Parts: sequence; C-alpha cells; structure tokens
Amino acid sequence: MKNDVYILGIESSCDETSVSIVKNGEEDIATVVLSQMDTHANYGGVVPEIASRMHVENITMVIEECLNKANMTMDDITAIAVTYGPGLIGSLLVGVTAAKTLAYVYNKPLVPVHHIAGHIYANNLTKKMTFPLIALVVSGGHTELIYMKDNYSFEKIGGTLDDAVGEAYDKVARIVKVPYPGGPLVDKMSYQGEDNYDLPLPLDDDSYNFSFSGLKSAVINLVHNEEQRGHTINKEDLACSFQKRVVDILTKKTMRALEHYNVKNMIIAGGVAANSGIRTKFTELCASNGVDLTIPEFKYCTDNATMIAAAGFFAYEKGKRAGLDLKAKANTKLE
Amino acid sequence: MKILFLDTSSFFATVAIIEDGKIKYLFQEEIKDDMASRMLPVIQEGFNQVPFTVNDIDKIMVVNGPGSFTGVRIGVTIAKVLAWSIKKDIIPVSSLAFLATTKTASKYIIPMIDARRGYVYAGVYDQELNSVLADQYIAYDALKEYFEDGTIISQDDLPMATKPELDVLKMVTKYQNNEPVPCHSVNPNYLKKTEAEEKLEVKND
Repeated sequence: MKNDVYILGIESSCDETSVSIVKNGEEDIATVVLSQMDTHANYGGVVPEIASRMHVENITMVIEECLNKANMTMDDITAIAVTYGPGLIGSLLVGVTAAKTLAYVYNKPLVPVHHIAGHIYANNLTKKMTFPLIALVVSGGHTELIYMKDNYSFEKIGGTLDDAVGEAYDKVARIVKVPYPGGPLVDKMSYQGEDNYDLPLPLDDDSYNFSFSGLKSAVINLVHNEEQRGHTINKEDLACSFQKRVVDILTKKTMRALEHYNVKNMIIAGGVAANSGIRTKFTELCASNGVDLTIPEFKYCTDNATMIAAAGFFAYEKGKRAGLDLKAKANTKLE
Repeated sequence: MKILFLDTSSFFATVAIIEDGKIKYLFQEEIKDDMASRMLPVIQEGFNQVPFTVNDIDKIMVVNGPGSFTGVRIGVTIAKVLAWSIKKDIIPVSSLAFLATTKTASKYIIPMIDARRGYVYAGVYDQELNSVLADQYIAYDALKEYFEDGTIISQDDLPMATKPELDVLKMVTKYQNNEPVPCHSVNPNYLKKTEAEEKLEVKND
C-alpha cells in the first residue's frame, strides 16, 4: 500500500494569493484563496505593483489559515508545489520565494508547476483524468489546445496568435462600458440578447490556432460606426453575437482536433471555463460525438492553489524537482 | 542570542548570522539581477558554516525598505515565512539606517537612495544612528541644510555622494532590542505609493 501524498500548493501568479493542501492529486483537503479583485476593480484592471504588494502582506496568513483549516502541520506535508510561471513576475516572485523558504526550513522537496498545468489538473479534482485527452485552456492570459498522451505530458497543438479569449471578453466589456472584470458580465448579457450583429468568425482556417484581435476590432468599429450614425447599440445583442462567434470557433477547432487525434476525452481549463456559453455548447457537442467531457467546478476555474497542488502531485510522481535557486518566469513554455 | 540579518533592498545584498554580538557568517556581495534565485542558497550556505541551524535563530532582522520594490519584497517574504516557520518574531529595520552605519567624521550622516526626477529616499542620522530627520521620499535639494555638516552616503550616482561601508554589527547592536513584530504584521516600507494609487487619489480629490 502506497503512502498518501500531501502536496502543499502555492499560487500567486496574478491577483489571488492562494495556498492549498491536496491529497494524492485528487482530494482537496483545504484551500484558502485571498482575492484582490475588489482592490484592482478601482483601477479597471490588475495593477501589477499593487498585486505584488498585497501578496507579501498576506502570504504568511494564507499559509497559516490553510494549515489550520486542514488541521495539519508542515510535518504532514510531503512536498511543496509552487507556480513558477507564467504570470506577473512580481506576483510570482512572492509565491516562489515563500515556497523556497518553506522547502528550505522544513527540508521538503520543491516541485515547480506551470500555471497552465495547474489549470488542466483542476479537472482531476472533479473527475480522474483519462488519457489520451485534448485540453482546451481558456483564460485571461491563455487560449491553447493541448494534446496529452499521458499524465504530465503536454503537446501544444495550437494557441492564440494575439489576444487570449478572456482578454477579448474584458476588452469588449470595456467597449460596451461594463465594469471590470467584465468577461463574466458579457457572458450573462449574451443570454438576454439575440445574434443580430454581423461579426466575422475569427481565424477560420485549417490550423488549431486562434485569433481574437480581429473580432475585437470588429466590435470596436461596429460600436464606433453605430455611434456616428446616432444609433444606440443593443449591448445584449452585441454580447450575444460576440459570444456566439467565440464559442463557434472554439468548438469548431476543438472538435476537429478531437477527431484528428482520435481522442475521446476532453477537458476545459482556465478562468473562461466558467463561461456558460462555452460550457453549454461543448457539453452538447461532446455528448453527440461520444466524447467524455470534464469541466472543473466553478471554484477551480479561476486561479487557485488547489489546482497547483493537484498538478504538483503528478509532477512530484514524475520526479520533477526544483532547487532553492528556482526562478519565477513571466513567460515560460508548458512542458 | 542568535540573529539572522537580511538586506536585499538594493543590488548590494547582505546576509549575516550573528551570535552574541559576533558575526559568525557574512555575505556581502553585489547581485545584479539574480537576487531572487541567489538568496535562499546563500542563507543555506550560511547555516552550513555555523554550528547551529536556522531553527536555533532567536530573531530575524530584515531591511524592509526603502529601496528596490522587488528587492525589498524578496527579503521581507523570506523573513516572514522563515519567522512563521520557526515561530520567531521579526525586527524590521531601515535600509537608510543601514547605509548610515558607514563611518564618517561628520555630524550628520545623510543616507540616500535615488528615486529619480530629483527625488531621493533619504533620512538624516547622527553618529549613533539616532534619527535626526525621519526616512522619507523627498527632493534632493530639500536636504541642503544638512549638507554642510553632513556626509551623503549612497550606492547610487548622486551628487556629492560617498559609497557606503555597511557595518552589520553596528546595525544589529543598535536595533536588536527593538520591539519584535509578529511575522503577519511585517510589511515592506516602500515610502511611496504606487503610481496607480497616486493617480486614483488625484482623480478622487
């Protein structure tokens, strides 16, 4: 009988300070997420320097609260996993430094986790992942299609050439003057409208790449032209047309990838996995194509350390380790 | 009493382990852009060289600013997590006071950090490291009245500045009996709000 592995995960890549303890990569023992969203909302977006400052202020409290919640001590922890990138460098630095300090004092293995691997393994907290699979990663910073032959093996088959899908949502939200963070509100508004605006389907080619800047520009131009003509924009209709194009292209390319790679398992990962338009359409399509679809619970879609600890378990099992000289990286490839 | 002293607030880093008023390990080196990856290995090396472990430390003295925002955060994060781990408290100290440990013959010691556009982070200290003028973000020219009886100490290329010679022992002796602060409450002392906060305040006024 193998011993249970308890990974303490630390995530600080953007504006959430989070610490979590996960058992065997699948059971959330305790998670604390301290979101700075209310602070950054005053500025209409995440201010990196403020985010870094808040991470330092809160890091020890979040670690302590997580252990208290789990009713565990550091002695019960097998290894420490931390997001080393990609993300805001100043924010990442706090989590990485904290993780290294813990690993040093308690003499625990330090496991470096790529933020996207974390988002992918959020799914393992919902349902044990089955391979091979195709992962669609959609967030404020990422839009990627990843083929996974096995645990902790990542082959990127496509990605965005410009804006990430979440970024496009937030920009459209700003154009139609929806407060930050506007993405989720645009999703909500789209259900109150109809697809009455003529927007292009973005980068509809044979690749698995995405491009959302053209769609974003089309929205800007449309709003501008309508205003020039003295027409008022129906925001709900615009949200609906925009969301429909996004969902159409994401599903079109993902379903083709599933067919091409002859894969029957699919997962969605990242903050935009909370988008109900995306969830609904993929649920429908996967059901009718015999594809087993997993989407993380809402609480694991946004940034959290639970997913880092879950991914950390599989990285740990694969023998991935970092030294006390681990560096935070703003940009880094998933491997 | 065993004290770990940390300063990562500028490119010139200090890590020292002091036992009963004696320096047992001292690392003082220029670290250009690798501070975050260097510090923990340096601390580890330090404890390899002394006959006790990091768990035996009684107090952690950390320079919590002003200085490089990122640099300060590295030292403060290490200090906080370390203090939390070994259940000890922290004595936060000023980077300017540390610069002011430099030996001079002047009445006043004026430590400075370049904050650009004619501004500096500065304070005025006497020979015993007592504060004459509190650390602050201030125009270089506004400190002129102290120049005649003072020596400007700075790592940066500021007019009339002398390079520091940092005296860890003087620093530790001066501040070791300060009221220690629990780790959760220790924060960087940037002495300056972020640009975003300043702009928002102007807008709200």
